[in-house]
Amino acid sequence: MIKLTRIDDRLVHGQVAFTWVPALGVDCLLVANDKVAKDEFQKMTLNLAKPANTKLVIKTLADAIVFLNDEKNGKANVLILINSIKDAATLAAGVPAITSINFGGIRGKAGSRLISKAIAITDDDVPVLQEMLQKNIELEIRQVPTDSKQKVESLLDK
Amino acid sequence: MLVSFILITLIAMFGHSEDFLGTTLLSRPLVLGPLVGLVLGDLSQGVVIGATLELIFMGNIKVGAAIPPDVITGGVLSTAFAIISGKGPSIAMALAVPISILAEMAISGLFVFRAVFNKRFTVYAEEGDYQKLQRLHVLSGILKPLLMGVITFTALLLGADVMKSFLDSIPPWVNDGLKVAANMLPALGFALLLNLMFNKKVAPYFFLGFVLTSYLKLPVIAIGALGVIVALIITDITHKSAPTDDDADEGESPVEPAPELPKKTIRSLFFRSLALEANFNFETWQNSGFAFSMIPVLKKLYTTKQSMSAALTRHLQFFNTSPYGSTLILGITAAMEARKSKSEDFDEESINAVKTGLMGPLAGVFDSLFWGTFKVIAAGVGASLAIKGNVLGPILFLLIFNVPHLVLRYQLTFIGYNTGTRFLQNLAKTNVMDKLTVGSSILGLMVIGAMTATLMNITTPITLGSDDTATTLQSILDQIVPNIIPLGLTFLTFYFVKKNMKPTWLLLGLLVAGFLGSILHILA
Repeated sequence: MIKLTRIDDRLVHGQVAFTWVPALGVDCLLVANDKVAKDEFQKMTLNLAKPANTKLVIKTLADAIVFLNDEKNGKANVLILINSIKDAATLAAGVPAITSINFGGIRGKAGSRLISKAIAITDDDVPVLQEMLQKNIELEIRQVPTDSKQKVESLLDK
Repeated sequence: MLVSFILITLIAMFGHSEDFLGTTLLSRPLVLGPLVGLVLGDLSQGVVIGATLELIFMGNIKVGAAIPPDVITGGVLSTAFAIISGKGPSIAMALAVPISILAEMAISGLFVFRAVFNKRFTVYAEEGDYQKLQRLHVLSGILKPLLMGVITFTALLLGADVMKSFLDSIPPWVNDGLKVAANMLPALGFALLLNLMFNKKVAPYFFLGFVLTSYLKLPVIAIGALGVIVALIITDITHKSAPTDDDADEGESPVEPAPELPKKTIRSLFFRSLALEANFNFETWQNSGFAFSMIPVLKKLYTTKQSMSAALTRHLQFFNTSPYGSTLILGITAAMEARKSKSEDFDEESINAVKTGLMGPLAGVFDSLFWGTFKVIAAGVGASLAIKGNVLGPILFLLIFNVPHLVLRYQLTFIGYNTGTRFLQNLAKTNVMDKLTVGSSILGLMVIGAMTATLMNITTPITLGSDDTATTLQSILDQIVPNIIPLGLTFLTFYFVKKNMKPTWLLLGLLVAGFLGSILHILA
C-alpha cells in the first residue's frame, strides 16, 4: 500500500527517517529517480540514511512504475520519494494508485519562487501542477506529519 | 530591577547565540533557568523551573524547517516572571507555553527575512571577497539575538509589574490546578520521543527502564549506565569480528587523501562549523555557514581572485544537514578542494554532488543519534537531579551531551579529510549503522521509561470506603503497579501523537485535563 508519495529534493533525510517513517508505519522506502538509480555513490549514502527495520529500494522512474503496479508488492507499506515535480507527474501518470502527492522540500534555483517556506517552483512547473490537479490528484504541503495540510493550488498565484 | 532586566535580556541573547555555538544545548531551559534564577537571587528556584520546562519541551526539537515553539524566549521570560512574582514552577509553565508559541512566529519571520541577504552573499562571492562574506554571515547571525533581546527586554519592562499583579490575583485553586497540569505535561515530551523510537522490537526496553525505576527505585543515571550495557550486549558490538581489509583495492574512492593542508586549517573547519546555522534562512538554509566554515581552507588553496570567487560561489549553494555531523562533510569537501586546486581536470561539479549526496543521509543519522539518544539521556539525568533543586543537574546535562558531541564532531573533521568517502563506504558495507540505530533506541527508551516512572508526580486522592476502613485508591494502585497513572497518561498522549495530533493542541489538552482533574479531586 502506498502510504505517501513525497517530493523531497534531499530524498531520504532527517524529516523522512525521523518523522514520516514512524508516523506512517512505513516498512519500505522507494526512491524513484533515474540519476540516483545509476549512481553508486548516492545509493551508498542513501543506504546510510535508511532507518533501521526499513527496506530501501532505489529504482529508475520506469522501474518504479512497474514495481508499484505489481500486485505482489501491494502488502508492503511504501513511502515513495521523488525529487522533482516533473518526476511526480510521470510517476502519477503511470501509477493509478497515487492519488495524493506530498510536497516536502524543493530548493530554490534560478527563476524559481518560494510558494511556501521550503517549496520553490518555476513557471514551467505551473502547467504540470495544474494538469495533476485536473486529474484530481491532491497536492499538499507538509514538512512533517503534524503540520496541517496546505493545498498547493491555493498558493499558485503567489 | 533594571539591572536584573538587562542581565536577563543578556541571558536570552546568550541562548539565542547558540547558532554560533554549535547547537550545544546551552539554550535549553534547564541551562537558562538556573542563570535567570541566579540573577534574581533564587538559584534553586531557577533550577527547579528550568527542569520543569525542560521536561515539558524535551520532545520539542528542530527537524528541518519545522520550527518548534521558541523555548529560549519562553523559558527565560516565564522563569523571570515566576520568580519575580514569587510563584512556583507551575506558573512558569503556564506562562512558557503561550510565550514560546508567540516568539516562534518572530523567529520564523526572521528566517524568511534573512533570505534578503542572499543576493549580497552572491555578490561578495563573485568578487572573491571572503572577508565581507564572513562579516555578513556573522552580522546576519547577530540579528537573532538582537531581535529576541529587544523582545525580551520590552516584555520585562512592560510585563513585570502587570504580571505580578495579575499573578497575585490568581486564586489558590487555579494555582493547584496548574500544579497538577505541570506534572502532567512531561507526558507530551515523553510521547513525542516515543514516537521517534518506539516500535515492537524495542518496546520491552521502555518497560525495562520503567520497571527498574518504579519497583527498585533506581535513579535515572543508573538506568543510563544499564542501558549502555544492555545496548552493547544486544547489538553484539562487544563481539565484533576483526575488521577485514579486503576492500582496499575494490574500486577507486571518489576522494583520495590530500594530506598537504596543515592540521591547523582542518581544525578551523571544526571551530567554524559551530557557526554553521548562524545565518539559517528558508531559501538557502545553511549555505553561508558552509562557505564561512570553508574559508580557511580556500584561503590556503586559492590565491587568485578568480579561483577564490569560483570556490566561494561553489559553496554558497543550498546546504542543509545536521550540525552534529557537518564536519564530516566539511572534511571531505576540504580534501576534494585540495585535489581540485592541484589538478586542472578535476571535475568541480563532483564537489557539490558529494556535498548534496551526503547532507540528507547524514542529517538523518546524526539528528536521530543526538536528538533521540544523547539529548534524552542528558535531559533524563539532568532534569531528574535539577527537579530537586540540585545544581549538578544542568552541569551534567551539558557534559553528557557535549562531551560525546564535541569529541565526535572534532574527530569527524579529520576522518572526513583523511579518509574521504571511503570511510562512509565502509560504514555502508558493514551493518554498523543499523547496530548504532538499534542500540541507541534501546538506550533512549530505557531512559524514557525511567523518566516516566520518576519525573511525573501524578497521583489520585480518591478514597474508597468510609471512616476506619477507608483506603486510598492510590495505595491500592501502588501495590499493583507503582506510577501506573504517569505510565497510562504517557501512552494516552502517545496514542494521540500517533494520530498526528498537533503537539500544541496536546499541550493545551493536557493543561485542561490536569486542571479539571485537580478541581474535580480526581488527580493530585
